[in-house]
Amino acid sequence: MIALAGIGRVFRVGGEEVHALRDVNLQIAAGEFLSIMGPSGSGKSTLLNVIGLLDRPDAGRYLLDGRDVTALPDDELARVRREKLGFVFQFFHLVPRLSAAENIELPMVLAGIDPAERRARLDRLLGEYGLRERAHHRPSELSGGQCQRVAIARALSMGPAVLLADEPTGNLDRHTGQDVMAVLERVHAGGGTLILVTHDPEIGARAQRRLRMVDGAIAGDDKA
Amino acid sequence: MRAADLVAFSWNVLRGYGARTLLILLAMGIGVAAVVAVSAIGEGARLYVVNQFGALGTNLVIVLPGRSETAGAMPGVLVGKTPRDITLDDALALKRSHAIRRIAPLIVGAGDVHSGTRHRETPVLGSTAEFKDIRGMELAQGRFLPEGDPRHSTPVCVIGTTVAAELFGAGAGETRALGEWLRVGDRRFRVIGVLAKQGESLGFNTDEIVIVPVAAAQALFNTSALFRILAEAKSRDQIPAAKSDIEEIMRERHEGERDVTVITQDAVLATFDRILTALTLAVGGIAAISLAVAGILVMNVMLISVTQRRAEIGLLKALGATGGMIRLAFFTEAVMLALGGAALGLAAGKLGEVLIGQVYPAIPFSAPLWALAAAPAVAIATSILFSVAPARQAARLDPVRALSKR
Repeated sequence: MIALAGIGRVFRVGGEEVHALRDVNLQIAAGEFLSIMGPSGSGKSTLLNVIGLLDRPDAGRYLLDGRDVTALPDDELARVRREKLGFVFQFFHLVPRLSAAENIELPMVLAGIDPAERRARLDRLLGEYGLRERAHHRPSELSGGQCQRVAIARALSMGPAVLLADEPTGNLDRHTGQDVMAVLERVHAGGGTLILVTHDPEIGARAQRRLRMVDGAIAGDDKA
Repeated sequence: MRAADLVAFSWNVLRGYGARTLLILLAMGIGVAAVVAVSAIGEGARLYVVNQFGALGTNLVIVLPGRSETAGAMPGVLVGKTPRDITLDDALALKRSHAIRRIAPLIVGAGDVHSGTRHRETPVLGSTAEFKDIRGMELAQGRFLPEGDPRHSTPVCVIGTTVAAELFGAGAGETRALGEWLRVGDRRFRVIGVLAKQGESLGFNTDEIVIVPVAAAQALFNTSALFRILAEAKSRDQIPAAKSDIEEIMRERHEGERDVTVITQDAVLATFDRILTALTLAVGGIAAISLAVAGILVMNVMLISVTQRRAEIGLLKALGATGGMIRLAFFTEAVMLALGGAALGLAAGKLGEVLIGQVYPAIPFSAPLWALAAAPAVAIATSILFSVAPARQAARLDPVRALSKR
């Protein structure tokens, strides 16, 4: 489903070239649960951003569902993100003035989905992630775990093919982190493709396929 | 994104940053209110002047001796010779024109007016019975000058209320003036009417005048020359015809020389109208500068908003918003602010208009339609214009970098 061939990404920092990604080749099949681990600056977040179409590679080819998305125009990329990809961030990135329900609804609003359909999906998601009582609370009134559940529900509201999570437990205590991992694993169990960036080995070990990155290159690819 | 969702989203942003929203509304409101109030004052002044001219009488055509070749110069001065006088016969000859309803010859002079031991100096007007209708005068008591051959002098006069009060006892209302004798210079006139209180009308206070038959005034001031001839055209459309008839008749009577000037009330009015409309536009334009200032404030606040909401904009992009959607969201916000500000400003401007109207009830303050339409339009246009730069900046934000800021 995801095919990266010879992907390179170069940043210029103070006149010096930093190779965040060098010659990355990666195939990810539908329904896989993949963790990307590695030290800080190893390029794992950049790889996730490239896969998530938030960042454009400087070299290589990226096929998503058999379609070359390397050179798509920005608006088309936005459309692909909207329809095929869901993001979960370390810092949740909920809009503070919107309620939990409104945050979950946001991608559907951007996609212009009919309000009746939106309400039906919202209701299902609120129930599924145990947020029904908190639906009308602002993020500032929610716990960290609840915030991340809202973010996951938001990422899934458009029924994406791939869920991308960047350190989803990085800002949570151990216990809450376990809860969030359980939620993500349930998504995978339901047939979703899950790509997770973490530097917590314990979390990373829960994935069936574990990618290790060092200096912008894939150093290890273990399949359980 | 659906239009309703876009509006709801922007509404949420505006509510979320309440203080900011209020400040912009205030700036926009003041700008719009200033344009409305200032143009209302200008328009009020214009209407006031137009009404003052209207009080002169309707469809008025004025004939004065001498021909002004250059606008603004004293008639007769430039050509270097005294123009031929206009006589009473000239005036009566104008009745031949089919375009003219009535005419009134006019002689103006100053006279010592005596009644018993009281006396004062007043303007003395010599005219005919038709003067009353041409000038739209009302009588408080008695009647106006009698009809009849204007060449014959009858020793009667009509006086203004102030004159009546000062010469015939206190109280402007019922005076004992009627039937009394009044001495003007060395002639005596019987008072047959008192004019209703009318006040100032273009330099002449009709409360302070004495009107005598034109022949009497000719004898009094020892002249056969008329000061003016006032002619009333049969209708507004007939004014040009009346004017050309008058010029034709006067030329015939003055051996082919065009030595009179014919002024139509319309021409004078049109000039004043143009001047005052230009003035209103000018002050309205100055007030509109405050709208531009409000526009810059909108830009400023929007730019700050882009910085404040970096993470949110990055998130929206990650969730699949295109640059166009982000731009549109910012524009919607700006338009909503402008609409709110304009509504506030229109209300405040109208209120100001009513308040000034209370202070100066004589002047008909009312904002012209163009100002009521242009002020909100300019407000909306400037806020869209000034939000182009912030909206572009927001739309161009790189989502990875926007999201990495904590």
